[in-house]
Amino acid sequence: MVDLRKMLRHIDWLTVASLVTLIGVGLVFIASATNAQPVNGDNLHYVKRQAAWAAISLAALIIVVALDYELILRLAPWIYWANIALLGLVMVAGSSAYGAQRWLEIGPIRVQPSEFAKVAMIIAFASFLSADHRQEAGALGRLRDLLPSFAYVGLPMLLVFKQPDLGTSLVFVGITVGMLYMAGANPKALFGLIGGVLSLGSLAIYLHYRIGLWIPLREYQLRRLLSFLDPGSDLRQSGYHTHQSQIAIGSGRLFGKGLMAGSQNQLNFLPQRHTDFIFSVIGEEAGFAGAVLVLGLFLLLAWRGTVIAARAKDKAGSLLAIGVVSMLVFHVLVNVGMASGIMPVTGLPLPFISSGGSSLLANCVAVGLMLNVDMRRFKIYF
Amino acid sequence: MELSYGLLQRRRAGLMFMIMTVILIALCGRLAWLQLVLGPGLRERALEVRLRDVPVEAKRGTIYDRQGRELAVSIDVDSVFAIPTQVRDKEGTAANLAAILNMDRDWILERLMRQESFTWIKRKIEADQAAQIRELRMQGIDLTQESRRVYPKGQLAAHVIGFAGIDSQGLEGIEVQYDSWLRGVPGRISIEYDARGEEIPQAVHRYFPPTDGLSLVLTIDETIQYICERELETAMVGSGAKSGTVIAMDPNTGEILGLANYPTYDPNNYQAYPAASRRNYAVADTFTPGSTFKPITAAGALEDGLISWNNRFFCGGSLLISGHTIRCHRTGGHGSQTLMEVIENSCNVGFMTIGMKLGIERLYDYVETFGLTSKTGIDLPGEAQGIIIPRAKAKVLDLAVMSFGQSLTVTPLQLITAISAIANGGTVLQPHIAKELRTADGALVQSFASKKETKVIAEQTARELSEALESVVENGTGKRAYIEGYELAGKTGTSQKTVAGRVSSEFHVASFVGFGPARDPQVALLVVIDEPVGAYYGGQLAAPVFSNVMRDVYRYLGIPVLLPTQ
Repeated sequence: MVDLRKMLRHIDWLTVASLVTLIGVGLVFIASATNAQPVNGDNLHYVKRQAAWAAISLAALIIVVALDYELILRLAPWIYWANIALLGLVMVAGSSAYGAQRWLEIGPIRVQPSEFAKVAMIIAFASFLSADHRQEAGALGRLRDLLPSFAYVGLPMLLVFKQPDLGTSLVFVGITVGMLYMAGANPKALFGLIGGVLSLGSLAIYLHYRIGLWIPLREYQLRRLLSFLDPGSDLRQSGYHTHQSQIAIGSGRLFGKGLMAGSQNQLNFLPQRHTDFIFSVIGEEAGFAGAVLVLGLFLLLAWRGTVIAARAKDKAGSLLAIGVVSMLVFHVLVNVGMASGIMPVTGLPLPFISSGGSSLLANCVAVGLMLNVDMRRFKIYF
Repeated sequence: MELSYGLLQRRRAGLMFMIMTVILIALCGRLAWLQLVLGPGLRERALEVRLRDVPVEAKRGTIYDRQGRELAVSIDVDSVFAIPTQVRDKEGTAANLAAILNMDRDWILERLMRQESFTWIKRKIEADQAAQIRELRMQGIDLTQESRRVYPKGQLAAHVIGFAGIDSQGLEGIEVQYDSWLRGVPGRISIEYDARGEEIPQAVHRYFPPTDGLSLVLTIDETIQYICERELETAMVGSGAKSGTVIAMDPNTGEILGLANYPTYDPNNYQAYPAASRRNYAVADTFTPGSTFKPITAAGALEDGLISWNNRFFCGGSLLISGHTIRCHRTGGHGSQTLMEVIENSCNVGFMTIGMKLGIERLYDYVETFGLTSKTGIDLPGEAQGIIIPRAKAKVLDLAVMSFGQSLTVTPLQLITAISAIANGGTVLQPHIAKELRTADGALVQSFASKKETKVIAEQTARELSEALESVVENGTGKRAYIEGYELAGKTGTSQKTVAGRVSSEFHVASFVGFGPARDPQVALLVVIDEPVGAYYGGQLAAPVFSNVMRDVYRYLGIPVLLPTQ
């Protein structure tokens, strides 16, 4: 078996440190965000729950690190189809909240399969892209060479989209683009395609309003997507989150109002503030300085992830690492962008910080994959 | 160019890192904009979001008569409001409130169900109701102090004072005319609430105190007002007339001392009266002055030197003008008369003769300068002005008829203003009803005087005419107004109303205008009784009202009376 002790010498401690710090920051601000809403008289309810999930997640990370990623990659087809099955199960038997069917109830715990779907997709897609025939030079050179990849990713993505979970399906796009680029796709073909899809999408939305063209979005999703452009237009409904969140962040100014002292947070003006809008609490209570420090931790993770991708011993390994950081950074972009009013409200958690077990577990498993790749970067190891 | 994967891997990973760095720096930039540039403004907004305002009504200024007696006051009362989002037990609260306030439970419940941060339940409730509500300490239900307008003298001077509505806003009379001074500036209490609308303990309560309204002192004298109203009512009840007006004015200042209309109303309960009762006939309606207009004709001709007290006028009972025979009121005529006798007899033929001497242009000049063709500009709402045939269209026949006060209309206020000019030595003073504005603690803010005065006739003319009018009361048609030693000057008037464009012989207006004492006038008084039933002569109907009012006003003001010589 693998000599774990030897391998631990090669673990990337900076990654571990930023991960643990982010989880710690998360616990502190979950405490502040839920201070004013005790559950059964316990205002640490959410903190305790998150701490328990953190323990489970770190244990899962260790297990993931212990398994050779090559072994994991061999399970890729199974993981891919198991993921599809799970997402299908959500559609049939999932429970709903906030108008979406995203959760599976297993005894006392609720899991959100779409969180794990992202990690499953990274593993499966890394395996898919590193298949022998795609290793050849120029294999992803033309637009039509990219089509099989889109079909492969498209199936689970569509299932997530139908839940509906617009945010997560957008993350799928982010991961796919990052991994395809890393895999050597022709940048012109890839980014040309993205640009084309974006402009087509904009045109479709424009025509939807002008001539009633059908688009696969529900009216509330569309409103939320567009309300960030003009939050004042619908303050009580779709613009409310963005508006209150911007007031919270802005009123924090340079050093914030202090922990547990944010009025927008403590007085319930911020919706979803221990989950999707936790960054608004950070902005209000820790100010610009605190918010930038948190973003700095994510930059540290991104740096380690790309370093790991650059020095991975094989293509599959570097694809895994890039998939993981693409996912994390895309989450940060959408979440912080939404809290600060430059991105649509799509309901994505801030990795490691937002309260929520599935998300934390999935992200820790993802970072585990990254560490796994790095620890096994030396080809001759046994 | 083909690259080995190792090289491509490093290059693309590096580029990926750069892209991610750019993304995170862009987010920092956005945060810097929000927190460092917009920050101060957004912090204010964050506080504003949490503040809700409860209005605090300003106390409306008191209205006093010229002696400082209260005519309109505001008393503190409580109003109940709800903060619906704070009301937990909506059913129970609605039931409690309904019982205390004697209101419909469902109506209150509907209010409490609203998604609002503030709603009135009932304004201006009784003290015992407020006490009960205070005692129950219902969540989300609170009281705020407002004031209710009370008119302690009831109907007294109702048409002058007018009334204010539920929001203490002036609606009629002086209350609306001086609303901006009386009203004050409302204040508010800002209370900090959280997103669920729950009041935060020890949170920001900012109190912005209201500025109370200014008090208004009127030229009206409560006692004179009362005398006018009492005598008018007596005459009205006796004559069965449609409406009536009495105006008392200080001819030396233009101050209105009393202004009474009948029918009247109680401003404390104004909704209960028909609109006709609330109409201020004295300023808003016109009537045909008839003989009470004659002093104006005489004043013009005397001032222009066209007639003198030595002239004699012959009345043969009628006069033929432009082919029309116009009769005097005395069949068979008054015969040969001095000017004094013409005025005493109120002889129409005599006045037509005087009018013909004056001519259309000069008569119109005097009608205009005496203020009968324009609004007086009194500080009361809804003033009307009389109607007169346009100067350019007037014919000799019109001139003749106008000379004795027919075929033109004036408001009672216009007429008394004109007659006051004869009383005060020849100056038309703009009538006014507000004397002073004072703060709540009595400091003077502003005094009002007549804004406009026009000298229309010479002192001498005015004095001679006054003596003639005194003679009317002593020897002429105004004898029923005579009180020995009171030196009252006056003129009766009985005019036919114009109904549907035709002069009616059925409907009349009886009037009497005058002043006293003739040599040093203190009070000018006009009595108009519209459409009396039965007796309709001004001398019969209006003159007694005039003398009764004058008798009491003399006593009240302590005006010296010449003791009757034995």
